[in-house]
Amino acid sequence: MIDDAALPPLVRERLRALLLERSHALVLSFAPDWTLREVYGDAAFHGIDAGASAAGITALQDLFVGIDIGDDQEIPFVELANGRSVHVHLLADGDCFHLLLLDADEARATQRSQQQLANEAVLAGHAKSKAIDALRNIRSELERQRARLEEANALKNALIATMSHEFRTPLTSAFGHLRLLEAQVPAGGEGHDALQAVRRSLTYLFALAENLLEYGRGEAGGGLLNPVDVDLDALLADCEAMFRPLAAAKGLLFRARLQRSDAASPRFDEVKLRQIVINLVSNAVRYTQAGEVALALRWADAHLRVEVADTGIGIAPEFQARIFQPFNAGAQSGSRGAGLGLSIVRRLVEQMRGTLALQSEPGVGTRFELDLPCAAASSAPLDTTPLQGRVLVVEDDGDVAYLLEAAFEALGLDVQVVGEAVAAIDHALAAPPHLLVFDMNLPDLSGCEAVYRLRAQGYRGATLMLSANASSDARDAALRAGADRYLTKPIDFARLEATARELLAQAS
Amino acid sequence: MSAGPFKVCMLGDFGVGKTSLVSRFVRSTFSDKYLTTVGVKVDSKEVARPGRDPVKLVLWDIAGRDALDSVGANYLRGASALLLVADGTREASLASALNLLMQARGLLPNALAVLAMNKFDLLDRWEVAPPTLTQLRRSLAVFETSAATGGGVEDAFAAIVAGLAP
Repeated sequence: MIDDAALPPLVRERLRALLLERSHALVLSFAPDWTLREVYGDAAFHGIDAGASAAGITALQDLFVGIDIGDDQEIPFVELANGRSVHVHLLADGDCFHLLLLDADEARATQRSQQQLANEAVLAGHAKSKAIDALRNIRSELERQRARLEEANALKNALIATMSHEFRTPLTSAFGHLRLLEAQVPAGGEGHDALQAVRRSLTYLFALAENLLEYGRGEAGGGLLNPVDVDLDALLADCEAMFRPLAAAKGLLFRARLQRSDAASPRFDEVKLRQIVINLVSNAVRYTQAGEVALALRWADAHLRVEVADTGIGIAPEFQARIFQPFNAGAQSGSRGAGLGLSIVRRLVEQMRGTLALQSEPGVGTRFELDLPCAAASSAPLDTTPLQGRVLVVEDDGDVAYLLEAAFEALGLDVQVVGEAVAAIDHALAAPPHLLVFDMNLPDLSGCEAVYRLRAQGYRGATLMLSANASSDARDAALRAGADRYLTKPIDFARLEATARELLAQAS
Repeated sequence: MSAGPFKVCMLGDFGVGKTSLVSRFVRSTFSDKYLTTVGVKVDSKEVARPGRDPVKLVLWDIAGRDALDSVGANYLRGASALLLVADGTREASLASALNLLMQARGLLPNALAVLAMNKFDLLDRWEVAPPTLTQLRRSLAVFETSAATGGGVEDAFAAIVAGLAP
């Protein structure tokens, strides 16, 4: 440090003048009770009233709350009311003290710009690592889900394969032995009618088994296609072998023909294609008492057209939509099946990206026309046991609150309804309900905020969030805040009941 | 006539919302533009109490930091209370606030401490899990606050007033 006393007087004077000018030094001298005695310097520059208003003095006094003003003090970078920054020095001086204010605005601006850049870089880095973490989590979650799906799919496929084998093996044996017996018993011979009855039953059992297996695969799993080169001649021959005897037994003419104008080999999921054709022909034979049943396959322009026509009882217009519903037994007059066949046909045709057309007239007959492009595509039994417990419903909409109250009371639960989140938090903490049902949008706090606050205060009860927002973001936010389940409005009351049962079962 | 004044220091990592909480509490204003604080800004507010004298709080909005240096320690002198501020969307800022509290305890063993978990309006981005706050509440008053909406801010300062002038 320079010893200023040793400096030449001229230099010392210039240095003193420069420092005073650049620091905009202001000195305020006070009595110990903060009575202002003297002001030296440019008070206005620091936004301090030259008359040293009470407010100005109080603001300075606030800087030393809790601090002994009998000792020298230094407080760097204090922002004043006018926004400027100063270094504040308190100098004790016998029966008084002085406050020395030195301008630090330029130094603060420099420090701030550096600090701002550094802080923003850290914040941006944090946001970036969060985004990367989120992406990583999404990817690992997708991988987990894919692994679970693959595992479940493998199990399901193994089950279906086993079941198919278990069904098909004895059926194949039965069909084979039936054929041997039929060869030994001439038409009109003794036992021929009995063998025909066995064939009908076996054919029905075969179709039923295949349909149930297909139905059991479900929409998603069943959508997977396994296209192979299909021998249409063999398909036609098998159908003839299977249905011609049945048709003949009823005195029906059975015609089957194949037209081929595309040299390319047809590629389809053969199992599904056979299932479609067998279902349609089986129905046609079953519902035709006189006349004929005709199966026509046309392979042209990379499309297979399947036409199954009969002169049977026909389907009334009002039933034509119903026959494609599963388990529609009764939709067709005189029907005796499980009512699965046509629903399976429609599902399989959709999976194969084909089209299905129906023309039918009661008493005249029915014609199904399919166009299939060449391939290059349950619910648990209802639980009605009354529930026990208390439900706190937090919903500000009176109508919705009433519906929820009625729904939960119908399940046997005691229901309390509160319209505001803060009041609900108090209720829930004072007397924790067995189930807490929160609307996402409440007037005072969002449902998420309320649930988070409850969880952060140790609330562990079952919590269900209801919202009109069906986005996955909203759902994730609710679950992150601590909700156990998230359901969207309009309320599906069956789902609400199932969820309430599940949550209450877990809670107990 | 008012009780106090009591010096209350805002302590926490940078960018957690200390300045915003003071602005919300003292002036009922909020800006989402981030401007780092250098040094200290001192504000005051008289907090009304029904049927009793108001309490004057002198609020020291100290530049954010994750550990106390000599300058930071200097700012704390004479403080009666510490309002620790953490950002719920940055879990590390909670560790910083608790670290600052431990260091400040060496200087101010008897100061009242309250934790404001700020940015509650951004709950969907929070990293701090509810059980963490449940644990903290066993030893510290904790408030979920939002300088943006004002949620929880009055409650946090009211807890300080109640602790300083029961």
